[in-house]
Order: sequence, then structure tokens, then C-alpha cells
Amino acid sequence: MSPRAPDSQAVAALQDALAAEHAALWSYALAVAFLEADQAAAARTDAAAHRELRAAVEIVLVQAGQRPVPAQPAYATPQPVLDAVSAAGLLVTAEADAAGAWRSLLERSADPRLRRTGFDALVATTARSARWRGAAGTVPAVPVFPGRP
Amino acid sequence: MDDATAAVRNAVHGVVPNGSVRPSAGSSRAGPSRRQVLRLTVLVPALLASSGACGTGLLGPAPPPDPLVALADAARADAALAAAAAAADPALAPQVGPLRDARLEHADALDAEVVRAGGAVPAAVTPTPSAAPAPAATLVALRDAVGASHRAAAQLVVDLPAHRVGLVASVAACCATYASVLA
Repeated sequence: MSPRAPDSQAVAALQDALAAEHAALWSYALAVAFLEADQAAAARTDAAAHRELRAAVEIVLVQAGQRPVPAQPAYATPQPVLDAVSAAGLLVTAEADAAGAWRSLLERSADPRLRRTGFDALVATTARSARWRGAAGTVPAVPVFPGRP
Repeated sequence: MDDATAAVRNAVHGVVPNGSVRPSAGSSRAGPSRRQVLRLTVLVPALLASSGACGTGLLGPAPPPDPLVALADAARADAALAAAAAAADPALAPQVGPLRDARLEHADALDAEVVRAGGAVPAAVTPTPSAAPAPAATLVALRDAVGASHRAAAQLVVDLPAHRVGLVASVAACCATYASVLA
């Protein structure tokens, strides 16, 4: 077995994706306190999905001999989070950032395994994005080109 | 919202120590299997060669059709089906209107990439959708159509060149989400 390690572009893309996952998890932790019960339950489900994804990326990076980027202690929110709508808005931003990072991985790696991982993550983040865009009143709820810069 | 989005983006990007990442020589299980690497080394040059040949049309026998042409046709067909569904039942309009708009935007973006790559957007090369009997314009038919469009685009994601994969992946992800919310 001599599998090829991800090249430097792919590693950078994976680190960006990991950073976006860290930020998303921080955002969910903040937002969930402001959401109504049913939305909070959905947010916990979504956060669990991000946690799984984050762990998977960290494993890929460690196996490639890289040091996974750590989470920041805190992040700047685009708008003050004061209620359920602004909390949903924060999650819209977090999912959009994640979508951008995962789409970028596709563009920065030709490795079929990383392409599949990135694509699955992009599909999942688009579905979550639609939920929170709907809750925040963003039109259309389903992003037309998710992850496009 | 855009400035604010950029602010979070910057904060997020600030996390990444771009200068410190480097490729590793001594990794073990992170990369693709030998078979995947072989398949890639076979497929990618072939794909690059074919997309290069599309531009000139002089390098040999007729190049294979641009796979994005079929995706653009599917996008137009989905948009037409969505419009028909809304016409058949105006109550569906709020639900399927955004889908129709999204698929028209997909068609335009895919056409633009086909043209950019040197291909025409030829009515003659592709079969006219109107020749086939249209499926009944129901929500279920629309969901199935957009689900098929998701799968068709998803199949290309592993092999497309870097400059095209993002567009096709975004189109596929959008279709996948519509297929699940229409269920």
C-alpha cells in the first residue's frame, strides 16, 4: 500500500473546510439558544452532522501528516444574534461558508475520494442551508449555485 | 448582509495558517487506493485531451459531445416541467416557481461554460425535448425529474476538470435539495 498523500492544494482546501466546520459548530452552539423548540431540535441534528464531518476531515489531515487547524475561541457574527430570525441568519451564513469551502475542495483536488467527500458535504450543506434560509426568510430558500464564490 | 458575510468569512479564514500547510511525504492511509490512482491517471489525461480537442475540432475524429450539453438540456426540461406543473395547478406555483427559475439559471450557466470551452449550444446536435411525450406535470414527476438531474450531474463530479467541477457540483446539490423538499 502506497497511497498518494493529498498534495499541498488539497491539504489547504481541507484545512479551509475544517476551519469552516469549526465556525459552523460555533455558530450552531450560539444559535440554538435563540431558536424555537422544533427549530432547536433541527439545529442540534445539523450540528451533529457538522461534528461528524469535522472529525472526518481531522482524520484525513492527521493521516496525511498534517496538523488540523484548531477552532477559534470566538467568531464575528455578521449581524447581532438576538432572536430566532437572526439566529437562523447566522446559520445561513455558516452553511454558505461551509458550502464555499467544500466546493473549493472539489476544485483543488482531483483525488476521487476527496471529490466524493467534498461533493457529499456540499449536498448536505445545501439541504441544511435551505432549511435555515427558509427560517430566515431568504428567497429562494434553496440556493441556486451553492458554494459559488 | 454581504459585508457581514465577508466579515465572518474573514474571521473564518483567519483561522487557517495558510503559510504552514505543506504536503506530506510520509502519510499512510489518507490517499486514494492504487486502483483509484490508476483510474485517475487514465481518465484525467483522456478528459483533458478531449476537452482540448473540442476547442479546435481539427485534432482528429469528432470529439465526444460536451457532457454539460446534456445537463443544460435537462435543466431546460425541468424548467419546462415546473412551468407546466404550475400551469396545471396554480396552487403549486409558489412551490415550483423557484425551481423553474433555478433550473433556467443552471441552463444559462451551463450553456455559457459549453460556449466558453469552444462548443456551440447547438439545437441540431441534441434531440428536441418536445419530440418525446411530456410526462404529466405533477409534483411527483417534477421531483423524479430533478432527482434524475441530480444524479446525472453527480456522476460527472469525480472526473471533471477543476474549472468545471464547481459549477456542476453546485447544480447537482441544488437539484438534490429540490428533490428532497418536493418529496
